[in-house]
Amino acid sequence: MDLEDQGRIKAKVEEIGSSEIVVVLGSPSIEAAEMYAETLTFGDPTYAGPLAGIALRLPVYYISESDIKQQIPPEIYRDQVEMMEMVLPSEEIAARVKAIRERAAST
Amino acid sequence: MSTKKIKIVHYLNQFFGGIGGESEADTGLQTREGPIGPGIGLQQALGAKGEIAATLICGDNYFSNLIGEVLPEIISKIKNYDPDVVVAGPAFNAGRYGFACGEVCKAAAEELGLPAITAMYHENPAVETYRKVRGVYILPTEAMARDMPRVLPKLAAFLERVVSGMPLGPAKEGGYFPTGQRRLETTSTSGAERAFNMLLAKLNARPFETEIPTERFEQVPPAQPVKDIRSARLAVITTSGLVPKGNPDHFRMFNATEWRKYRLPDQPALAGSDWEVIHGGFNTVYAQANPNVILPLDALRRLAGQTFGELDENFYTITGVGTSLKTAKEAGEEIAASMRAARVDAALLVAT
Repeated sequence: MDLEDQGRIKAKVEEIGSSEIVVVLGSPSIEAAEMYAETLTFGDPTYAGPLAGIALRLPVYYISESDIKQQIPPEIYRDQVEMMEMVLPSEEIAARVKAIRERAAST
Repeated sequence: MSTKKIKIVHYLNQFFGGIGGESEADTGLQTREGPIGPGIGLQQALGAKGEIAATLICGDNYFSNLIGEVLPEIISKIKNYDPDVVVAGPAFNAGRYGFACGEVCKAAAEELGLPAITAMYHENPAVETYRKVRGVYILPTEAMARDMPRVLPKLAAFLERVVSGMPLGPAKEGGYFPTGQRRLETTSTSGAERAFNMLLAKLNARPFETEIPTERFEQVPPAQPVKDIRSARLAVITTSGLVPKGNPDHFRMFNATEWRKYRLPDQPALAGSDWEVIHGGFNTVYAQANPNVILPLDALRRLAGQTFGELDENFYTITGVGTSLKTAKEAGEEIAASMRAARVDAALLVAT
């Protein structure tokens, strides 16, 4: 995950607190989504960025997960997201992101 | 046993040192007290047993371009800290970083007599180059940096063994790449019995393990010299990931699986507006502005008909970032076949 993005999110959490933040991912690949979720939950696994060793434990969701999807006006979802949801391995990505949430809840 | 804390100096590149990605690869050598980046994880894994006294950070390009100046500087800094061991990386499948880690370890081992440990992916070319250097140990990792949390505790445990002088055991059991060192061992069964048991296993199609693995050095016979370069038809290959604007064949930035052949324009040089550089391993800004720096059509057009005969109307391209050896071999064979079909006499592989 990009070093600057890590820094921005870290600063945001310091500013408003983690209880006010939910992360919604739209990453196109399984690996990227998993990496983002892991970094924002348990800290940067590569130890390269500002989140090295810092477990923010932010709730991370994939945009096609029903909890998120049902909060987006259907016409906007249809225009902006639905096409990509169909062509990407969305279910697999959502499952991996969810698995990281579950791992965070159990540790 | 002594309970003295193990003192470590850690080497990192600009990315893992938290300075930045490819755009910061020209960063010069910096020294920081204490652990940085992966060093934080390594320090956690070591607990009170060890201490990362300092972290040396250097940009990958800076290191490879100015190795003659920067390596002695690194060695002198390491010496000042008087550590028990030097750790570099892990470098995973990063080519330049792997090379830098290998060079730092080699210099620490050979010039300071210190054990030096690094870790990388088995296909990183630095594994073959440095694994046999006396005093250098390379631990295996996966290709991607996500493997870091799994590697760091292993690195910590391994360096503890090395520094305390505990036997490491054979490479496979000790969890490091073979160093080419052989040690005498005694067993209760004679050589004849062991050989006989292996033969029985082989005849019965059961798995067995040889005691004398032969290293397979691949012989790559050099190509025949070009008979007459002045009349030769030349084709160009680039590993820079140069593709037509819009990347019509969806080239990947990393882990290329395909190569392509594209037609050279009937112009004296390549124009940046017509081409794109899909390469995730270097700062492509300059090549994008002037693609002739990675595929020198301007120079080749000038030299055609004088220094060499003629230029093939096509060029060959692949993205050389983390490309597996297998893919590279296959691509090379296919490109060679395509060149033969086009009556090409000589291939020019341009440096990226």
